[in-house]
Amino acid sequence: MTTTTHARGPDATTTAGGLRPLLRLMANQPVRYPISLAVWTLNWTWPVMIGVIAQQYFDGLDGTSADQAGWTLVTVVIALGAYLLVRLAGIFFGMWWHARLLFRAGAGMQRSMLRRIFALPGARPVRESPGEVVSRFRDDVEHTTEALDLSVDFTGSIVSATVSFVLLARIDPVLAMVAFAPMVVVLLVVWTLANRIRRYRESARETTEAVAGFLGETLSATQSIKVNGAERPVLDRFARLNDRRRVMMVRDRTLTAATDAMGQTTGTVGTGLVLLLAAGSLARGGAAGLSVGDFALFGILLAHTSFAAFFIGTFLARIRQAGVSFDRMVDLMDGSTWRDLTVHSELEESLPVPTAPATRVGVVDRVDAPLLAVRGLTHVHPDAAGGIHDVDLQVERGQLVVVTGRVGAGKTTLLQTVLGLLPAERGTIAWHGRTVDDPARFMVPPVAAYTPQVPRLFSMALRDNLLMGTDGDDERLWAAMDTATMTRDLATMPDGLDTMVGPRGMRLSGGQVQRSAAARMLVRGAELVVFDDLSSALDVETEAALWARLFDVDEPATALVVSHRRPALARADHVVVLEAGRVVARGTAAELRRTSAAFRELWG
Amino acid sequence: MIPVRAYLALLTTHLREHRARMALLAVLVLGDIAVQLAIPQVVRTIIDDALAGTATDRLVWLAGMVVLAALAHMGLAVAATRVAEEVGWRATNDLRADLADHVLHLDLGFHKQHPPGELLERVDGDVTALSNFFSAMVVKVVGNGVLIAGIVVLLLRESWLVGVTLGVLVGLGILAMGRLHAIAVPWWRRQRAVAAETFGQLGEQVDGTEDIAGNGGGRYMQERFADQLRTWMPLHVRGWMGWALMWGTSEVLQVLLLVAVFVLGAWQLDVGTMTVGTVYLVLNYAEMVGHPLHEIREQMQDLQKAGASIARVEDLLATPTALPPAGTTPLPTGPLGLSLTGVGFAYHDARPDDGTEPKGDAPRVLHDIDLEVPAGRVLGIVGRTGSGKSTLARLVTRLYDPDTGHVRVGGVETAEAADLRDRVAMVTQDVQLFRATVRDNLTFFDPSIDDARLVEAVATLGLDDWLATLPDGLDTRLGGDGVGVSAGQAQLLAFTRVFLRDPGLVVLDEASSRLDPATEAWLERAVDGLLRDRTGVIIAHRLGTLERVDDVLVMADGRVVEHGPRERLRADRDSRYAHLLATGLEEVLT
Repeated sequence: MTTTTHARGPDATTTAGGLRPLLRLMANQPVRYPISLAVWTLNWTWPVMIGVIAQQYFDGLDGTSADQAGWTLVTVVIALGAYLLVRLAGIFFGMWWHARLLFRAGAGMQRSMLRRIFALPGARPVRESPGEVVSRFRDDVEHTTEALDLSVDFTGSIVSATVSFVLLARIDPVLAMVAFAPMVVVLLVVWTLANRIRRYRESARETTEAVAGFLGETLSATQSIKVNGAERPVLDRFARLNDRRRVMMVRDRTLTAATDAMGQTTGTVGTGLVLLLAAGSLARGGAAGLSVGDFALFGILLAHTSFAAFFIGTFLARIRQAGVSFDRMVDLMDGSTWRDLTVHSELEESLPVPTAPATRVGVVDRVDAPLLAVRGLTHVHPDAAGGIHDVDLQVERGQLVVVTGRVGAGKTTLLQTVLGLLPAERGTIAWHGRTVDDPARFMVPPVAAYTPQVPRLFSMALRDNLLMGTDGDDERLWAAMDTATMTRDLATMPDGLDTMVGPRGMRLSGGQVQRSAAARMLVRGAELVVFDDLSSALDVETEAALWARLFDVDEPATALVVSHRRPALARADHVVVLEAGRVVARGTAAELRRTSAAFRELWG
Repeated sequence: MIPVRAYLALLTTHLREHRARMALLAVLVLGDIAVQLAIPQVVRTIIDDALAGTATDRLVWLAGMVVLAALAHMGLAVAATRVAEEVGWRATNDLRADLADHVLHLDLGFHKQHPPGELLERVDGDVTALSNFFSAMVVKVVGNGVLIAGIVVLLLRESWLVGVTLGVLVGLGILAMGRLHAIAVPWWRRQRAVAAETFGQLGEQVDGTEDIAGNGGGRYMQERFADQLRTWMPLHVRGWMGWALMWGTSEVLQVLLLVAVFVLGAWQLDVGTMTVGTVYLVLNYAEMVGHPLHEIREQMQDLQKAGASIARVEDLLATPTALPPAGTTPLPTGPLGLSLTGVGFAYHDARPDDGTEPKGDAPRVLHDIDLEVPAGRVLGIVGRTGSGKSTLARLVTRLYDPDTGHVRVGGVETAEAADLRDRVAMVTQDVQLFRATVRDNLTFFDPSIDDARLVEAVATLGLDDWLATLPDGLDTRLGGDGVGVSAGQAQLLAFTRVFLRDPGLVVLDEASSRLDPATEAWLERAVDGLLRDRTGVIIAHRLGTLERVDDVLVMADGRVVEHGPRERLRADRDSRYAHLLATGLEEVLT
């Protein structure tokens, strides 16, 4: 988890156990945070007044003390009323103010993470499964904002403990120190337990993720499991993972309970110690010893301060857990540091527009330069298998270029690398003869648009799915849908373009999703369309119609496609045959039939 | 308010196994309460004795008891949490296992309606809310409830007036909190709903980065997410204000209690019915009420949430499968013949989301299908999308039962067969792989399949070359941080799964639609091996896939429109098969 941090050197990136990003989150709200801090310090310190009121009450009672006056009962009751008013104001304002502050802090981190994810190569931005990513956005953000939340409690409890100590020390400094000793001990114990707390929390989370991950996959694979009769072994494995999680969870919770209990008990222990030392002097009262009022003050302030000590302990433990969460979030944002995670952004504002594309569109340098020219393009998969090597390729305006080859030949990888969805290790991509510096930013509409092999839609209206932020009226949408052979389907949908497609487009059939994704690509009016095995979920007739509408027209699309379908190969102006990531043959289909053994092997 | 009865009803059987632990838990919780109640009593004695001038020895001894009691309270509280968590997790793990088992055995119609994410939330998310329920309920709510009751009883012993007054105040406080809680619940519910929506959208965005990045939609999606957060914030704040309401109420209660203690104490001291030590005791108990009330309040949200979770879990457990359990008749060995007579079918699972019965009849997707595939022959099925091919496959593998007519495998009705899952295999286009080792992916986590058999199956399929490139062989992890698998390789892995089971009837549903022709040819050689001495049903959009089948079945709109030996249909120029061949071949390279 922290290996990447080590590799980059500790100074630039270490989160100092979560403290540095936490301080940054505070600095991001330079007005709101101090106000929160002030209100919550008041909220923590104000209950000390209860102790003072009780002290005055007991000292005012008959027979408790000869020389101390104390307050009358009426004064005590009025004081309690005043106390309550301030208390309620502090609670309501504090909660209202603080809730917004914390939400903003969390939202800022979530937006940073999402921004980073979209800045990474689109085909494989993160190693984590979507479920794990959501867990970082939800749980880890919660853990870190919780630490931010506790930071005001931490400050408040320190102030409150200090005020309590001063009040008690004015009565008897030695007694005050003895009474506070258990709290100091607890703080030290929690401090030394910090690493263990962090470790336990990490294993609990890991085992939880393992359970959720396996269950998620199982539920996605129900049909396979059923037809393979594999219910029993799958359930056995689920039970084993659950058992591992139980052990880790119980361990984690017990340790948390132990630190909680230590914090909460110290007040009573302190009170016991005060009695141990001073019980004999209660009778004497006043200057000679402890009055009952003084003892009440000790009792109440110690109870309150032990609550404070509990928070100090909790905060120290939580900040370590937050450190784990910060690391996990930074880990998700491959190539970033905690500084990028906690960068300031106001929720009301849009993120800054990225700087202009690396190469301008529409400036034709050389008249004879092809629209797209790829030279020596190389991408090596991290896991060694697959990848493409030294691929040359060009697409002229109006051409259909088909990439074909057997499974694992690198066809999809080639498209993804050309589009910057995967990083290229070597090679150049030129557009109108000009080198493209950053394909990921450049090869997007209006230059290029794309439909992947297994396209995804998103849970919003069909219209929003097609437009995804570009401008376009219904006429344009219908035209794109028509080219994508979707109009007949669209006519059967009662809400038409306003149809909600459901999570991941699940309310549509596989073929409808594929054709809608094609329309999404077409509606962008890009100069080049790129698609991967578009017709895999279509029947023969629909497929034939689709190819005809795309290419048997007056102004056919300029297209770079992966396909091994006859309708595609027959129309192709140029076919590139890949084998093990390298181009082994190129030409028209008819030429290849004569010249390429590889092509004949594919097509018999 | 707190769904204790529903919880117990759901988990009684699972909790019963942990009776010894639960008894221990009761002892620990009650012991802890006794200790907490005793401490103020000792302090009272110390104050009164000190004011009366008792010898210091006795006072020191009593004060030492206070310190020891405080330490005992700490130990008991930790022990109680540990035992409660243990019971809670063990019992709910049993429930998780039951639920997962139940869900896996539910019919496909159910799974089509409930996406994996939703079921995950129910089988694990909801149940996790319940694992916290037990320890929170026993230790925090019941334990603290008993503590409060104990305080009131002990106060009554001192003075009925004080006891009644404080008891009534606490009662009113709890009532008020209940009222305010009911006001706040909808606020919390809305905030959770918007949270679920936000993370649902996020999940699919992260899953679709390729689509988004490739079409320049990144900024749009980020803005959409920000909009969602902007909608969420006011609801989040309101949720917090719900908690402020509860907290404020408990502060009011605390001050009222103090006023009562101070006024009644001063008066009773005046008339001589209380000592100063007793006034202090009453104050102590009044202060002690605050913390348990606070803890009970803190648990309310979780426990309430558990109510919804319990309802969902119960719902899920009560969902019947449309498929009765497997029968008892063993299937014959060797290749299995297939016969369909008068088979009709409609998907009845398109029930509306609100749980009402579907309006009208579900449209029929299969009409009166008669079909005979003798043992050992291979049948190819073609037809447009929606013609019923895949549905037919699902009836043969008994993912559904037919509405009318009979599906028989090896002469046995599918619903009667005892070992249908072992003897009838299917490969679909959509292969699901686990983030697990190659071995686990091939055996579906069945440890009884030995490596020798695995290696043999892998070699038969020609996957051995690929296996040799893997860093850890069969122990290589797939997906996630592990090795990636192409769609074609996934298909081959799925084929290996089938090989391992040695079935008598194999259904290939569009198994080769995403493979290139060379791989397909390679795969079909393996399929030839698989289908040797077995019955086969191959479904494809692609005519090439059918080149080696014995018989061809053409389907349209849920009916058989043509069925016969392939060679005969090919020779007949008027046959649909011949026509389809011609359409397909128009595209052939010239």
